[in-house]
Amino acid sequence: MLEIKNASKIYGEGSAQVVALNNVSLEAGKGGFISIMGPSGSGKSTLLSIIGGLERLSSGEVFLDGMRIDNLSEDAFVNIRRGKISYVFQQYYLLPSLTALENVTLPLTFERHSGHSERALELLKRVGLERRIHHKPGELSGGEQQRVAIARALVTAPSLILADEPTGNMDKKTGDEIMSLFNDLNQEGHTIIMVTHNPEIARHTREIVVLQDGQIVERIRCEGRGNQL
Amino acid sequence: MKLYQIVLKDIMRRKRRVLYAALGVVIGTMTVVGVLTIAFAGENRIYGQLEKYGANLTIIPAISRIDTKVGNLSLGTLSIGENYISESYLPKIREIADGEIRTALNIKDNEPISIIAPKLYVNAEVRGISLVVTGIQSQDELSIKTWWQVREGEFLKTDNQAVVGALTAELLKLKVGDGIPLNKSVLVVSGILEETGSSEDYQVMVPLATLQKAYNKEGLISSVEIRALCNACPVELIALALNQNIPGIKALAVKQIANTEMDLVQKVNRLMLSLAGITLVIGVFGVVNTMMTSVHERTRDIGIMRAVGASRWQIIQVFMYEALVIGVIGGVLGYLAGTLLAYGIGPLIFESASISYIPQFIPLSLGIAVAVAAVATVYPALRATRIRIAEAFRSL
Repeated sequence: MLEIKNASKIYGEGSAQVVALNNVSLEAGKGGFISIMGPSGSGKSTLLSIIGGLERLSSGEVFLDGMRIDNLSEDAFVNIRRGKISYVFQQYYLLPSLTALENVTLPLTFERHSGHSERALELLKRVGLERRIHHKPGELSGGEQQRVAIARALVTAPSLILADEPTGNMDKKTGDEIMSLFNDLNQEGHTIIMVTHNPEIARHTREIVVLQDGQIVERIRCEGRGNQL
Repeated sequence: MKLYQIVLKDIMRRKRRVLYAALGVVIGTMTVVGVLTIAFAGENRIYGQLEKYGANLTIIPAISRIDTKVGNLSLGTLSIGENYISESYLPKIREIADGEIRTALNIKDNEPISIIAPKLYVNAEVRGISLVVTGIQSQDELSIKTWWQVREGEFLKTDNQAVVGALTAELLKLKVGDGIPLNKSVLVVSGILEETGSSEDYQVMVPLATLQKAYNKEGLISSVEIRALCNACPVELIALALNQNIPGIKALAVKQIANTEMDLVQKVNRLMLSLAGITLVIGVFGVVNTMMTSVHERTRDIGIMRAVGASRWQIIQVFMYEALVIGVIGGVLGYLAGTLLAYGIGPLIFESASISYIPQFIPLSLGIAVAVAAVATVYPALRATRIRIAEAFRSL
């Protein structure tokens, strides 16, 4: 369902050029759970940004469900964000003036599905926050905020969830809880691509892609999840 | 949840910033409302002065020697000849005057509109002193000379009474109840007027019919004063129509005098309004500035909204809703501040003008304020749509 062909991303010009991605090809099938790993500057965040339409490719192509998405205009990509791709960020990125429930409903508001707060409520229950729905982000712990962000990512029933260091700000216990939530979501059929630098986190996923200097150097299948790498 | 609800919640979180943006709007609308309120009071004062001239129109016999300048001024030097206007013209005068007003103001009913006060001047000698005796129709005359006040006694009630001007009373040592011989008959002084500073002070006012009878001038009058009872009445047109249709009279529009002053006031008003316009423009820049800061501060929030599916147009809407709130707050506060401003400095501009708040300016004030806020928000909102999600999150 996701196919990346010969993707390159070059920042800057002339002698100041930095090659962030160098001819990367990758595919993920429906129900996949991929973690992208690599040292700082290896291009893992750039790869995620390119899949999510946050950055433009210098060359190459990205297909989602058979549709080329890397050349879509900013306005056309709005429709991709409304139901095809959702993001989960390290910093959660919730609107501080809205409650948990309102934050989860937010994507539907922009889609003008004004009456669908039942679905948001259902998802908040799904991530275990039914008692916190009227709390604002400032009143929630980091783990709780990330659960709200995950519920928000799910509310549009996306084909693909992109997560950028979703447990980066958490202690191990909370991080494990979030990862087990991702695991459950994956079991339910959601396709997830996650960037992390933490092997402990990565081993929860089905496949690990290791980047170095903008190139894929290793792809590891972890069929028996929960095992050591 | 609707988009505007999100905006309102966000505004509640940033009350101070929003109020600060509204301040730019307040300053502009305050000036406009203040200037208009003062201008309104100024024009009203001039209309008030216009009323003190009494009549809007004076009709005199069409001879050049009569030195009746305007209305009640300089009657002391009036030369009374054998020239009179026939009383029988009065219905025709009313018909023409009311007819012109009805046409001009599109009035349908046939009620009398203008006040028509005929009068007759006779030179008489009372207690050895020569003075002007004026025959008036007391109700009509009082309707025009609204500033007349009876100092002692009462105004004319019966046919054989007389009202004496303040200086005449002093000169002739007349008191209420004294008799005044008038040709064959004797009238009783019913009242003495307060000093007015004009020619009435030297006159004796008696009922028109009584004077006509005493001097054998039945059916004759010396002049007619007309008050059109409306500020917008076309007195020049009335004068023109009267001069064209009634032979032997000369109708003068008094408004011309006040027009000069009104012109001046309107020039001052225009000047003040253009200054208010400049203030509005400055207000726009103030709001642009605050909104740009707001865009900058909310880069992250805008990025979040874009990331979860907001289109550029929806980001513009977010800012426009905010502009609407700023406009409404600014409009209400601007109206209040402008009215206070008018109460404060209005009396300094138009002496003795009575300033009053004008509720009709509330929608005007709201309209201006919302327009200013909306115009000022266009550029910041467009800038906000150019924020890219990746940049929004990287800038943190």
